[in-house]
Amino acid sequence: MALKTGLTPEQARARRVRRERLRRALRHAILLGWTFFIAFPIFWMVSTSFKDAGEWVAWPPHWLPDAPTLHNYAQIFAFRSIDPSLSRQAAEQAFSIWKGLGDALLVCTTAALLALLLGTALAYSISRFQVGGRYFRHTILTIRMIPPIVVAISVLMYYAILIPYATSAVLGVRVSLFDTYIGLILIYTAITLPFVIWMMLTFIDEVPYTLEHAARLMGASRIMVIRRIVLPLVASGMVVTFLFVFILNWAEFLLALTLTHPEVTTLTVLLNKFQSASEGRLYGPQAAIGTMITIPVVVLGILIQKHLVKGFSFGTIRK
Amino acid sequence: MTEIAAPATRLAVGSAAASGAFGRFGRWLGSDRIFPRIPFLLVELLFILVIFVPFLLTIYISVLKWRANRPFETAYFSGLENYEAVLTSDLFWLSIARTFYFAGVAVVVELVVGFVLAMLVHQCTRSKKFYTTMFLIPMMIVPIVVGYNFSMIYIDSGPLNQLLAPFLERFGIDPRIRWLSDPVAAQFAIIIADIWQWTSLTFLIFLSGFAALPRQLINAARVMGATPWQIFWRVQLPLLKPAIVIAVIIRSMEALKMFDPVVLLTFGGPGTSTQTVAYFLWEQVWVFNKFSFGAAASVLLLIMFSVLIYVGIYLLIRQRSTVEGRA
Amino acid sequence: MARIVIENLVKTFGVYTAVKGINLEIRDGEFLIMVGPSGCGKTTTLNMISGLEAPTSGCIVIGDTVVNDLEPGERGLGMVFQDLALFPHMTVFENIAFGMRVKKVPKEEVQKRVRAAAAAVHIEALLDKLPRQCSGGESQRVALARTIVTNPAVFLMDEPLSSLDAKLRVDMRTELKALHRRLKATFVYVTHDQAEAMTMADRIVVMSNGLIEQVGTPLDIYNRPASQFVAGFFGMPTMNFIDGKIEAAGGGRLFRSNGLEHSLADSVPAAVAGHGIVLGVRSEHVILGDGAPLKGTVQLTEPLGDATLVHFDSTAGNRLVAKVGPSTALQPGSPVSFRFDAGHCHLFDAQNGARLH
Repeated sequence: MALKTGLTPEQARARRVRRERLRRALRHAILLGWTFFIAFPIFWMVSTSFKDAGEWVAWPPHWLPDAPTLHNYAQIFAFRSIDPSLSRQAAEQAFSIWKGLGDALLVCTTAALLALLLGTALAYSISRFQVGGRYFRHTILTIRMIPPIVVAISVLMYYAILIPYATSAVLGVRVSLFDTYIGLILIYTAITLPFVIWMMLTFIDEVPYTLEHAARLMGASRIMVIRRIVLPLVASGMVVTFLFVFILNWAEFLLALTLTHPEVTTLTVLLNKFQSASEGRLYGPQAAIGTMITIPVVVLGILIQKHLVKGFSFGTIRK
Repeated sequence: MTEIAAPATRLAVGSAAASGAFGRFGRWLGSDRIFPRIPFLLVELLFILVIFVPFLLTIYISVLKWRANRPFETAYFSGLENYEAVLTSDLFWLSIARTFYFAGVAVVVELVVGFVLAMLVHQCTRSKKFYTTMFLIPMMIVPIVVGYNFSMIYIDSGPLNQLLAPFLERFGIDPRIRWLSDPVAAQFAIIIADIWQWTSLTFLIFLSGFAALPRQLINAARVMGATPWQIFWRVQLPLLKPAIVIAVIIRSMEALKMFDPVVLLTFGGPGTSTQTVAYFLWEQVWVFNKFSFGAAASVLLLIMFSVLIYVGIYLLIRQRSTVEGRA
Repeated sequence: MARIVIENLVKTFGVYTAVKGINLEIRDGEFLIMVGPSGCGKTTTLNMISGLEAPTSGCIVIGDTVVNDLEPGERGLGMVFQDLALFPHMTVFENIAFGMRVKKVPKEEVQKRVRAAAAAVHIEALLDKLPRQCSGGESQRVALARTIVTNPAVFLMDEPLSSLDAKLRVDMRTELKALHRRLKATFVYVTHDQAEAMTMADRIVVMSNGLIEQVGTPLDIYNRPASQFVAGFFGMPTMNFIDGKIEAAGGGRLFRSNGLEHSLADSVPAAVAGHGIVLGVRSEHVILGDGAPLKGTVQLTEPLGDATLVHFDSTAGNRLVAKVGPSTALQPGSPVSFRFDAGHCHLFDAQNGARLH
């Protein structure tokens, strides 16, 4: 058991400690560097949201606003477009965030709830009865793999052409689903269902089927069994799934852009709209809207972070 | 005889709550044959109505010739003309190539950076939670907002230029560079925005992978005299293979759909240098109103994607079964 | 020389002290077993010997070298872990060869030594298989082969048999003992199973709460336990304990406990009188028979095949167990007369459990 080098134990230990400290410093340097890279755009956005119009494109750029103002926020939270100082640009657009916020909340929540309901029910069937075959839970994800633009094009023609055509032929009245709440909700539900099913499957699989057997032997009907035994045990899973799907809907842009507006305008579409016909962008209000969009998602995301880690293991974690 | 009857009545009492016609219907609904089929049918119905039928419609429209600013009635059957137009469109192929280019660069960087970050964070003891939370944040930012953020940073009077100013001025270059006006720079802007946001995902997958490595294996290797480098190559990396495969598959599929940052950052510009396939299609249909062209392109794109999808699913299933087989 | 000396070894984790100061000398070539209940510090001590944990204070010497600052790989040890820690992505051959591959040993030598090690534990047929294809016993041997192949002077084993079923465990015990004799190396073995310790060890170290209670040969530990804890830990069924006092009576010593009196051997020192005492008697030294002075009633009998355990309550209320021959007429409810073999009564201080006689 001779030592590998010609050092005394004390020297070896000292060298080892020094090397360890260097390694630790390097590690933190890299991690902090990436943290800065991550934080910077967010910081910039929040900072800009408090800047007055004159500071938006100042050179050299102001890291912190010289004259912080709540003007941008006031603007987006106003109910009508105001502020004559912004002249034509302002008048052309509705600054108000209320429309976007309201529409987004309505669509996202409804779609998430609907997906949760249907998805949980189907997940239960798949878990207990292997409905759809052995690989159903994998093939259901194929829905998710269709490029959204393809979905958008198909659904656009469907909502704007086929449905009005069909309803006018059958019902005598021309109903279009283009730019409607129902239209967007339906498509959001459809594309988030695979996620709901996948996530609820992992939760429902954890509830042993023998519990239900025991309950049914004691005379409970199936509805009772589900209501009193299965649902309480997967309740927290349902909350996580709901939040996850809500966030997905909240962040969704392409389908909202292509299938709605102006009747229905989600926040993401609203953010994009902020360029006038002439030139340039209204960075301030955009930053404010961006900040408002971001905060709830980040808060929710941090809350369900633990579950994200578990969910994304995709079976690489076992035992 | 009364004894035989007694157990039956005892059971019946339990479900006495559901009695009468409604009860019978309820029980029929709850039976093992009917009950599980209900959500299945509902969901399939939804998918058929909202996804499948529209797609059939798309195929139909793709064989018509029609511009949306004219009424539908003027459309006429034109066979495979639209497909020909799409397949001979340079811009179409260019956008596909570009999409692969963006996705390729972005995903490789995300994999490497995510892996390194996960490895480093895994070694931290005290600050692990802090870094994990921070590194997961970009994933949660709405993609369109990410696009907006980077657009602010890249403008000619933005902070990026400010940081580079000292270097540039020494070479006599005006630091107020309009990054987004240069095709190559604009492309990198998009790639960087993607990396900024989605490295979080690879980080997450790899972190789970590292956390799942059994501690005793590393101890055993240490006792046998392996250096940390050897432990990494011979023990940790092979065991992380499933995580790597999953990260590659998931990230690649998503990256090919790149759309949001393109819209907000560059509008596909300058010129058409940053158009991804998704953007190209969007422009054709919503800006130029070339519906049948868009429909045909849509069908073609789906076919191309389907190949990739099936490969991806096959690999994923095979990965899961090798992991489960090990258990 | 593979002698191990441990001096004043202490290990704390934050506010919790796992090992509170241990001094131990492990002789070259002996099979030493560290026993104790969960949490007594035996695994932590083993980890410090191997280098996987660094001691808070104290020092460890292997051979002539102080190894405190040496990496685990530099100490020339072999270690078998509780969950075996076989690399799941490598074949059995590669698992065994790992230690040599890491040191860039040439291919022919690797082949030779791996095959030799595999032959030593009879697993030549498994060399191309993966760990998940091997049974529990086979995996156990692969882990052993992996340690043998590097020719260490010291083998460390952390509860290696705990994942095996009962019969396999007994078989492996004999094999390990045979291996030890063949290799003539020092074995340091950790377990919580006292039967394993008794059957395999040259010497036993009994630990509890981070301290060593006793070090000795298995027979020493059994016949002369240094504390009530050691006495109660070894021996199946557990030793009978009765609280009481010692009084001087007549020319000898008397043990008195609520209504139960027993005279003790004359060799009991006088200084013991007056303390609170715990009397300990093993079940095989509780003698049942007519005419014995103490009385009780049988509660339960357990036939073991080669003996019978008689659980009975004394008239004073003590619950006791006696081990008698295989055929006995005693039934639950029968009265019994009993006494203790005076030469095998152990006396412990009621407060600190230390042995008094």
